[in-house]
This record gives sequence, structure tokens and C-alpha cells, in this order.
Amino acid sequence: MDAWDPSYGASYEGADGGEGPASPSSAQVDTDVEIPAAEWAPIDVSPSVRRPDVVFLVDGVRRNDAGLWTAEEDGTSYAGLAASYAAGVVRCDLGRGQAELVGAKVGRGLFTASPTASDVQAGTVRYTVHRIEGAGEASKLPSAVQPSLTALEIDISSEARAVGSDGADLLVVDGPLRNRRQLPRTIGYVKTQQKQYLPGALTPVVTSLRPGQRTPVFHLGTVWGGWSWYLRLPGGSGAPWSGIVRVECSPDLAPDEAIELAELSSATLPRFASASYKDPRAPQNLVPIAGLERRLRTMLGDARFLHRALTKATALTR
Amino acid sequence: MTPGSYLQLDDVVVTKRELPDREPVTIAGVVTQVRARHEGAQFDSDVFAIADGTLPAMVQEAAEITTTRVDPELYVPPAPGAVVHRASGEARDAALHFDRMERRIPMGTGRDGVPVFLNADFLDGTRGAHVSISGISGVATKTSFATFLLYSVFRSGQLGADGANARALIFNVKGEDLLFLDHPNTKLDESTRAAYKLLELPANPFPDIRVYAPPRAGDSSGAPDVSSRLTGVDAFYWTLEEFCSLRLLPYVFADADDERQQYTMVVHSVTAHLNRHAVPAEGGISIDGRRIGSYGDLVDHIVEQLTDDDTRSTWAGSAVNMGTVNAFARRLIGSKRDLARLIRGDLAQRRPHQIKTAESAQVTVVDLHNLPDRAQRFVVGVTLKTEFEEKEKSGTGRPLLFVVLDELNKYAPREGTSPIKEVLLDIAERGRSLGVILIGAQQTASEVERRIVTNSAIRVVGRLDPAEAARPEYGFLPPAMRQRALLARPGTMFVNQPDIPVPLCVEFPFPAWATRKSESGPPPTSTMKSIVQGADPFAVVGGRGGSQDDDIPF
Repeated sequence: MDAWDPSYGASYEGADGGEGPASPSSAQVDTDVEIPAAEWAPIDVSPSVRRPDVVFLVDGVRRNDAGLWTAEEDGTSYAGLAASYAAGVVRCDLGRGQAELVGAKVGRGLFTASPTASDVQAGTVRYTVHRIEGAGEASKLPSAVQPSLTALEIDISSEARAVGSDGADLLVVDGPLRNRRQLPRTIGYVKTQQKQYLPGALTPVVTSLRPGQRTPVFHLGTVWGGWSWYLRLPGGSGAPWSGIVRVECSPDLAPDEAIELAELSSATLPRFASASYKDPRAPQNLVPIAGLERRLRTMLGDARFLHRALTKATALTR
Repeated sequence: MTPGSYLQLDDVVVTKRELPDREPVTIAGVVTQVRARHEGAQFDSDVFAIADGTLPAMVQEAAEITTTRVDPELYVPPAPGAVVHRASGEARDAALHFDRMERRIPMGTGRDGVPVFLNADFLDGTRGAHVSISGISGVATKTSFATFLLYSVFRSGQLGADGANARALIFNVKGEDLLFLDHPNTKLDESTRAAYKLLELPANPFPDIRVYAPPRAGDSSGAPDVSSRLTGVDAFYWTLEEFCSLRLLPYVFADADDERQQYTMVVHSVTAHLNRHAVPAEGGISIDGRRIGSYGDLVDHIVEQLTDDDTRSTWAGSAVNMGTVNAFARRLIGSKRDLARLIRGDLAQRRPHQIKTAESAQVTVVDLHNLPDRAQRFVVGVTLKTEFEEKEKSGTGRPLLFVVLDELNKYAPREGTSPIKEVLLDIAERGRSLGVILIGAQQTASEVERRIVTNSAIRVVGRLDPAEAARPEYGFLPPAMRQRALLARPGTMFVNQPDIPVPLCVEFPFPAWATRKSESGPPPTSTMKSIVQGADPFAVVGGRGGSQDDDIPF
């Protein structure tokens, strides 16, 4: 049984009757970073690891508020998307037992390829225009929101660090690091496994991980690659790939630094694993992230209200 | 509530609402419900994740306010998010309508430690009268609150001359608790004194008390039957002559006015016969040429006359069958033991023995606790009837007479009728204009005659039984307060008065007078006087009702 609610898909994309992620990756994988591939075995948390007292977790949410059509002077029309997105940082102070939202930002944008579109003021909120390249088909618009959200996440995580970093903290970014790799002491946290990066011979090491154990660090040679390792969270269903997450960190780090982060992550992340009766994506959807997402969604505002305000605002300009 | 601030139950708060075309509206209210929760928690067990520091959440406190006043009366809602302040001083008085009370009687402090008041207009009959106090026996402190309220009426000076001249008649039904109202309380401490001072009341015992107790059973001297209070107690009783001439016989029977009972006919004809034919004779009476010297003898005589075929028709009328007579006789004989000590033919008639508040002290305490149930009913019924008739005769509502009666459900039950219930109903319905104010207490208001409860302008509730609290008689309590009434501590009462839309939670101070022998200080000097008064040596023999010439000529 996969632990996830079926409506969220599966925590890994299995091949027909196969085990583990389906599509093999074409990436160059270097598995000899921490220990030679021949000696690979699950790694327990080293007792000498000092768990960080402060862990920052970053996540963003987005919502499409309304679809629009522009009326150009030449009679043509472009698709537009009014979207709200928010990013926030939770600061989990495990020493004091206090998790708080240290920063959250809400952005609203009107995404369109129309050259004439201007900002839309809907009641008290303003949707700023983000002009996108290309023909601007309606189907492409949702993915156009992502860069703005990522920018907001980077913004907010550096702000959160600026206030109270003790140098021993850890920043967990939900999803692959991508262009957030310049953030210090940061790991990317990938919930779903779609690509099989490791050679087939090493897959049994991943599936034989016990909760809290991790694989040795390996290096991915792709554009967005970097140091990476697998980790099994507690609370999985018992299926071979349940509770497995892939964690990555910036390729700019030295191998030693990457291994240190791997140690930290296996000491820290299991604590945040969610319980299956509370979260449909347990255990991979971390408790602070789930709480943060709920908070951010409320900060996006009432969808019906925004829809009404947008309808009113666009009706007035006609 | 913003972090760092808090509200507790019963706090008075006020907010303003700006309006475009007129002056702002001030909306005031009382906190009736408070709650706190984790915002961000979906499951109850999320508190552990929150305490662990893994789940971000905010503690959010909220208070539910029940509006008490909108000023000016423009019923607009307060704007969401408007700033609310805790009210104090004049704003608090206005919120609780104290500013509109011309005469306000302090009845204790609110939860915020500031005095709360009772509108005297609803107590003295100006706009309403009567108090109904409900609560579980023992923890609800019903009697204590009633006596404190009386004390406040007498000593606050808010009623002016009415307050000073007012009289109170208190029936003491349990223990000898109320016999020490004029003794200082030795357990009075500084904090209690401060509480009295806050209410602008002196922390003293009642100054002017007269205690009546029934004569000791089987004692021919008529000494009062009390064990703990030794001085300043007078005995009360009725002479046989009074029993006959004042038509007191119906009060012997609990259900004498019940139409379903056949024997009530006999009761009324025998009463009439006694009234017509009994003549006073040396303390006792003489009927049909026969001298009767005690209640037992009277009962025996009546029964004898009724069972005799020759005399039955003159006593009970012609159309009465033997079964009815027997029903009457059985009940009458049953009353012998209970009433013999109260209806006397062997004690001097001139000796003062009647309870008359007009001639008594400011507070008259009638001790009933030693009496059996039937005798208690008799005393309460006859005393109230006498007092009420006096008031009717005088035709004026002043001076006020406060009647404190516990266990009202016994004297005026919801079902059935009795002469006592009639008297109480009369007081409840007409007493307001005649200046007779009933302060009734009962464990269960649902078992008291509805017309008495509905006629009470002021309803007070102490700790309630859970099943009782669900009854419609307590509809004036908002649901949250109803729950609180189940937990009310002794000394905490919920008082509902007509001009404040929310019942107020009141804590009244510990009594400044002794409530039992062990805590009583030295008796006041005035109690020594009543020992002498018990038998006035200067009273002329037969002076009562005799000719003026018989008086001492100086």
C-alpha cells in the first residue's frame, strides 16, 4: 500500500509492476563521493552529530484567482491569469519548543502576454502585470507563476536568515533547490521520486533503509544537479519506497560540507515527519510545511471575494 | 484579543462605532464566554507538535460579549476589528445601567472587584417588587444573600426614610443560624471589613433585632425553646381565644382550600362556629358552657360534638356525611401533638406573645426550626395573614415590610391550594402596592407557584442542580451562565434585574453578623432589655382592650 492519498498521486512513479521510480535518469551519477559504490550500505545517524536547535523551513503556495481575456485594439485577445501566491518561513526553535512564522509575503500578479495590459486594482488589492514571452497560450500561464513564487521564496528565506541565524541552523526548502542554491546551509527536500538516479545495483540500498537511515551522498551531474542522498522517514507504510525522500544540497559545496549536511538532515528531518491520519501525504509532507501551507493559504485571502473584486474592477475599465 | 491582553468572564467592555451622519454610537457589553485555541492546529493532538516546536501556530483568545447597552439607541453592530476597551468608572456604570438608577442598593462586587448595584425601584415597589432566590441547599448561600440584601437596604441609606423605617420579618427554618443577627461576628477580618467599606456599608451586625421562638414543648411557663441564644428571645403563641376569634382553624390544614377535598366544608363551618360561640374564660375559652383550657381539649371537644348525632348539624351543617366528618376529625386529631405548644389556654393573655412587626424591632426573626412541618406552616400562614391584613387596614405602602421566607416550595407549591399559598399569592400580587416585599428562597424555582416567581422583579440564582438549571424558570440565564451556575461557589450569586439585560455575577461579603453560636461576639446591650420586656411589670392587669380609666394615673 502506498501511504499517500490517491488524489495526490503516488510518492514515487512506479514502472509497470516494477519497484521504485520508473524513468531512469540520464544524469551522470558519481556514487563514490562518501564511500565507494561497492561498499554502499544504509548509514545510521552518527551519535556525534549535533542536531541544529533552529531549523528554518521555506515553502510557497499559489492559487489561480481568475482567468481573463484582454481586448486589444486590433480586435485580438490574449489570455491572462490573475494569481495570488505566498511564500513564508517557519522558524522551528526545537530548543525552546516554539515554531513561529518569521516571514511571509503575499504577491499577486496578472500573467499575460498582452503588450497593452496594465495593473488591475481590485478593491484594496493590486495585481501587478507580469508580461510573459511568447504567444501566451492559456495553458502555459500557470507555469509562468512559478518564477515569481520562487523569487519570493528566496527573498523571504534570506530575510529570515538575516534576523536570527546562529551559524548552526539549517534551512529546508520544499522541492528541489534549483536556483535557490546560493542560500547558505540549505537543503532541498524532494517528496516525490520520479527519476531513478542510482544505478540498479544500488537500489536495494535505498529500499533497505530503515526509518532514520540514509544512503551515502552521491553527485548528480545535471544542470540542476548537485549533492544528493536518500533518506527514509518514520511512519511509512512498509512499501519499498514509502517514506523515502531525496535531499539535495548545492553543488558549490565541498564534499565534506555536503556530507555534514546529509548527517544533519538525517538527524533533523525524521522529527518533522507527519502522521498518516493527519496528512494525506504522510510521512513525506513535513509537519511544519503543512502548517505553513495552511497559514499561507489563509493569507492568500478569500477566493470568492477576490473573484468578485476582479470582476468588478475589470467591468469598470471597459 | 491581541497578545498580551486578556478578558475574563463578567468583564465590562465598551467600543465605539463611528457613523457618517450622526454622533458615534457607544456599544457596551459584558463578557459571557471566553475561549482560547491554537490557530493552525487541525487536530487536538497537534498541540504536541506545537509544543515540540515543529508546527507553527498562534494562540488565539476570544471573548463572547453580550450587549448590555447601545447609546444612543441606534442598533448598529460594532464594526469587526474595532478596538474594544475594558470599561471602568463612568463607562462601566453606564454599561451596567447603574447611571440610570436613582437609588442603587449595593449588593456585592462583580468579578472585577468593583461594586454592583440593585435598582431600588424594583425592590421597594416603585416599579417592581419581590425577590426570588434559588439554589442548592448548603452551598448556594440563599439565606445569607437575603440577609445581606436586607442589611444593605437598611444601612446603605439609599431608600432614605423608607429604608430606616422599613421592617423585616425573617422566618428561621434551619438551625439557629439567624438568631444572632445582632451579634458581631468574631471571624470578621480586615479583608471583609474592606469589602464592606468598598460597598460604603458599615461592617456591623444588625442593630435592632427581636427574636421570637415557640414555647418549649410541655413547659407550662411558656419559656422560648432555643438552645444557643439565651438572651433577648421572646416566646410567641396564640391563645385559644385568638384561635377562635381570628378564625385560625383553616391554617391547621395544609390543603383546606382544595375544592376536591370534601372535608374543607367542615373546616369552614367549624371555624365559623368557634368564631360565633367561643367566649374567653380565664385564658382559655368557654363553648357551650364548657371551659376549655388547652388545644388538646378543644380538639377533643370538637370531635366529640361532631360525632354526636345531636350536635353535628349545628357544628358542621346538615348535609355532611359521616365519612367527611371522620376525615376532618382524623386530621384535626393529628394536629394535636404539633400545635398544642403554640395554641395555649394556660398562659396569661396580657403577656405580649404575638408577632407584630409594627410593634417589634426593625428586624423580627421568627424561629421555626424546632417546630414540626405542620406547625411551621401554621405559624407562617397565620403570621403572614395577620401582617398582610394589618397592611390592608392601614392602606398605605409605608413603612415597607420585607418578608424573608426560605423553602417557599413548601409553603406555595406549584400544585394544589392552601390558605398559606393564598396569603403568599396575595403578597406576590398585591404586596407591591401595600409595601410588603417577599424575599423568597427555594431550592427549586420550578416547584414554586408560577405566579409568585413571575411576580418577582429580581431573580437571584446561586449554585444550581444540573437538572434544575435546564428548566424554563431559569430562562433569564444565558446558556454560558447557566453552566457557571452549576459551579458557583458559596458567596457567588447571579442577579437578574429588569433593567439590565444580562444577569450580573455578584460576590457578596461574608456576613458582619454572627451566623452561629461559635462565631458570635458579645450580645448587644439592648438584648438585655427584652428579658424584662418578656413580662412587662408596668403593664396593667387586663389593660389590653380595657378601659382607659384603668390606666395608672400618671
